[in-house]
Amino acid sequence: MEELKSLNRRTFIKQSFALGAVAAFGTLPLDVLATDKQVRLTILHTNDVHSRIEPFPLDGSRHQGLGGVARRSTLINSIRKTEKNVLLLDAGDMFQGTPYFNMFEGKLELELMSKLGYDAGTFGNHEFDNGIQGLAKHLHIANFPFLTANYDFTGTLLEGKTKEYLIIEKGGLRVGLTGVGIDVEGLVDPNSHRGMTYLDPIPVVNRVAKFLKEEKKCDLVICLSHLGYAYEDDKVSDLKLAASTRHVDIILGGHTHTFLDEPTRIKDLDGKEVWINQVGFAGIRLGRLDVVFNKATGKKNIVASQYTVDKQFDGLVNV
Amino acid sequence: MRSFFYWGALLATTLVLSSCKTQMYPTVSKDQYYQIDGSIPADSSIINYYTPYKKQLEEEMDRVLGYSDQHLSRTRGAESLAGNFFADALLWKGQQLDPDVTMSFATKGGIRADLKAGNITVGGIFEMMPFENAITILTLTGKDVLRWAAFIAETGGQPTSGITLRIKDGQIDEFLIQGRPVDPDATYKLVTYDYLANGGDYVTVFDNVLARKDYPQRVREALIEYVSDLTKQGKHIQAQLDGRVEIIK
Repeated sequence: MEELKSLNRRTFIKQSFALGAVAAFGTLPLDVLATDKQVRLTILHTNDVHSRIEPFPLDGSRHQGLGGVARRSTLINSIRKTEKNVLLLDAGDMFQGTPYFNMFEGKLELELMSKLGYDAGTFGNHEFDNGIQGLAKHLHIANFPFLTANYDFTGTLLEGKTKEYLIIEKGGLRVGLTGVGIDVEGLVDPNSHRGMTYLDPIPVVNRVAKFLKEEKKCDLVICLSHLGYAYEDDKVSDLKLAASTRHVDIILGGHTHTFLDEPTRIKDLDGKEVWINQVGFAGIRLGRLDVVFNKATGKKNIVASQYTVDKQFDGLVNV
Repeated sequence: MRSFFYWGALLATTLVLSSCKTQMYPTVSKDQYYQIDGSIPADSSIINYYTPYKKQLEEEMDRVLGYSDQHLSRTRGAESLAGNFFADALLWKGQQLDPDVTMSFATKGGIRADLKAGNITVGGIFEMMPFENAITILTLTGKDVLRWAAFIAETGGQPTSGITLRIKDGQIDEFLIQGRPVDPDATYKLVTYDYLANGGDYVTVFDNVLARKDYPQRVREALIEYVSDLTKQGKHIQAQLDGRVEIIK
């Protein structure tokens, strides 16, 4: 680690120009940023996939032909080939929306997410559609944890089956993750969440994020959220959560099916920017945030750019 | 070494412009996301994995429940074949759950597809009712039943069964429940589903219910049972435009 501490300013500038030169051609080869002085973490994320196993049928509907878990797998695998430190995360509502859920009760969704190598998820309100019992029935299939810091499942079948936080070490970095869900009262049949206690996500996230940053010395804290992006009333949302907390760097959201073309940045209680992102629904998009950690100075940057996966892009990812 | 992390962001072009000075105030103009479309080849191992599920699902969706002699269409009119079929099934299920139920209620917007003439499949019912809404039985005063009927009148008719409603100028002209006039002081039981009982689809008239019972049975399951039951009796679906809701000039 020690040798990583010195930053050669000239090298940095050289990299910057290289980066800019390629950017001028309209693409952003993120590889340029990865040197022994820097570590890049690539965060891939989905939300509200809603049992959309196959692409939308070609029936003239708005999203026809889009999505599909087999394509998502190809894309994720191709990114993993070029990136060393990849995290794959989901912000809830994996379930409900196609008959696959009605018929197989979420088993297939969890099996496929496990095959795709998800690192963590959180619960959306639709995860409760078959009740706590229905959710508990197949949850063991997932080979990754669910982070539900503001749901107290004590005394229910889900007690001890989810986590408050998770720390993943990648490329010498410590990434702290937590997750919060929406108040299911009114959204979910009372019989389906009986025994679960919803806790105000703001104090919960403040407590867990502080713990991850200060005690667990995490380099980055990510909060998976199924609270929703924004509301017109006082209801807690990702925007509100970001502004009311400290120590959270990134919120990956869901629930409102918001297609953000770029992440929203909100100042937290310390005036530090929190990045909030959400990628619509149904697996139509895969979100990507690249966080570059500068070991020498302790700075971290998020690199982001936008490109649509089309035939032109195919060549790029297969490099 | 893990002292203090400055949190910033950069975009390549901004970085180029600012790199000769400092790295401290970079910006990002765009997120990166991938559109998942046909240009990405599907991972055959994933397709192979879910194919057995898909086959099982298709078998279930293709399962024939019954038969309809005619195309049950949705219309914006006072009543429709699809609406009457839906509301009749709802009333049938409601009366099974509680024999005191005399009327049923759904909304035009909640019926998502027509049912084609011929074989009625599980998949067809899924398309008609993709939502997970469950049966709710409400106990209403006669006064609130009249408010409910007024809502149906104002909105030019809604899927309903058990009643006769004549609408003139968007208002109730005549209203009967099971052939009898409404007693404002009596109580009535109506079967609908949770979403509408909760005030969904701009239904605001259920703000004063005397009692509400939510059942675990989904509306879609009720429709499937209703068609299966007709088939068992050797019957086809024979929804009629029977003038239960009528707009008179």
